[in-house]
Amino acid sequence: MTGTNWVGLYTLTKREVGRFFSVYRQTVLPGFISSGLYILIFGFTLEQRIGEIDGVPYTLFILPGLIMMNTLTNASSNASSSMLQMKLLQQLPDILTAPLSSLELSLAYIIGGTVRGMVNGILVLLLGVLLIDMPVHHPLATLGFIFLVSWAFSSMGLLLGQLADSWDQLAMMQNFFLTPLSFLGGIFYSIKMLPDWAQQLSLVNPIYYMINGIRYTVLGVYDSSPLNSFLMALFMTILFTTAAILLMKSGKKIKQ
Amino acid sequence: MNAPAVHISGLHKSYEDTKALCGVDLTIKDGQFYGLLGPNGAGKTTTIHILTGLVLKNEGITEIYGKDIVKDFRFTRSQIGIAHQELPIDWFFPLEKLLYFHAGYYGITQKKAKPRVEELLERLGLKDKRTSRLRQLSGGMKRRYQLAKALVHDPKILILDEPTAGIDVELRHELWDYLRELHQNGKTILLTTHYIEEAELLCEKVGIINKGKIIKEGSPADLTRELGKAGINVHITGWNDELKNAFSDYSFTLEDNRLHFTVRDPEEVMASIIQILSNHGCQIHSVSTEKSSLEDVFLNLTGKGIN
Repeated sequence: MTGTNWVGLYTLTKREVGRFFSVYRQTVLPGFISSGLYILIFGFTLEQRIGEIDGVPYTLFILPGLIMMNTLTNASSNASSSMLQMKLLQQLPDILTAPLSSLELSLAYIIGGTVRGMVNGILVLLLGVLLIDMPVHHPLATLGFIFLVSWAFSSMGLLLGQLADSWDQLAMMQNFFLTPLSFLGGIFYSIKMLPDWAQQLSLVNPIYYMINGIRYTVLGVYDSSPLNSFLMALFMTILFTTAAILLMKSGKKIKQ
Repeated sequence: MNAPAVHISGLHKSYEDTKALCGVDLTIKDGQFYGLLGPNGAGKTTTIHILTGLVLKNEGITEIYGKDIVKDFRFTRSQIGIAHQELPIDWFFPLEKLLYFHAGYYGITQKKAKPRVEELLERLGLKDKRTSRLRQLSGGMKRRYQLAKALVHDPKILILDEPTAGIDVELRHELWDYLRELHQNGKTILLTTHYIEEAELLCEKVGIINKGKIIKEGSPADLTRELGKAGINVHITGWNDELKNAFSDYSFTLEDNRLHFTVRDPEEVMASIIQILSNHGCQIHSVSTEKSSLEDVFLNLTGKGIN
């Protein structure tokens, strides 16, 4: 066997995608249901009191943020949990002893996480379109942006999965970093509503750029330049993909 | 292929302060059945894991059919099928699907792998379990699955790390028969085992590894002949002092009319001993021989039991 092991890459990717689909009640439905609940709760209760932000009804305003939160949390948790699970259940030797390069291994995990991120993001997008007639201003850009963010956070998940030794460590990343940063990234508000210091602080939160970007592609409104959001997503994609592949190549934490 | 199936030279590996391998030299010819024996922590699994890319070596040559395991990893890993010691757990997929996945990792499409998967399911008695999850299988079935997985891409070299650990005697014998069959069909097999009897029965050559180094190699028969102790016990009446001179070239003891000769090969000298005794008018009541096992050799060399 010379060159790229395409069949191997395809097989491991298929396994990664099949893995989360086989437990869709844990991996697909929860985000869909909780997003539906957000729409119902905000749509029927809070929207009357909060009114519009940037000329957009409140329920519509929060939907892009919900899409993004679902996308990035699912993308990162797929790759991280799959890698850690394989380590802890002694499944990793099966793929490490196969003629698969570090690049092929990394890509399979990243694509698996990207697919889960996109499936979850697109489901919430469809929920918005079907339930509250959400307009999608730039459909292709929306899908492209969901893809880019899914890839970035799936790569980050793979990096964390390789580094982690226990579920506790992964849960810590999810509960103490990703979720708070998502909520503080402007899912439920425009950062223009914040005092100056909090606005400045929001600008160092990378997830803010993801939410701002998707809000632009879906609703056409934004707090700061959509180009910056795209560049941040691209930067994170390149950074985490490179780091995840290099760590896999080094064998640290997965090989002795 | 003229190059040996496995060639390891000067292999070193350290884990922080612990030296796991201190210059392992090992060559396995194509088609050979080789057993690697050693006490726990001797370096068996580390050696195997380095060969298969699971552990990174510090220094040394590690080649499969003349190709470096790092530089030519695609070639070398394709030649090897490994059945790990640890039994796998998978919650998501049925057994058959897992075998197809494994073939896929080696570049074999599901269509091409189908006849091989069917053959292995049939041969290893797993046909009825094809849709079962691994957690539903018994320990013995999991071991058979491990073997099927190692063979699904039809490798030239089969590495078995404790393949019969924890399974019942009947299944162990069935697996031994299957391993013999695989060997007869040309597979090179590298086996580590806790059952020295297993190595003695199956392997053409064994290497005894201790403290990260191969300390002795040879066929089980040669090792027991060279390093083991063998003896002849003769129960007699009519001992006389002339016999002391007659047996001056032999190492023996006499206690309660029971003679014990320490010899290298009992079959070789038994006739002469009986003849000398008869010529000197001794009455022989019984004769028996004893031979060291490979286990005795192992204990002598390593100073500890294999477990």
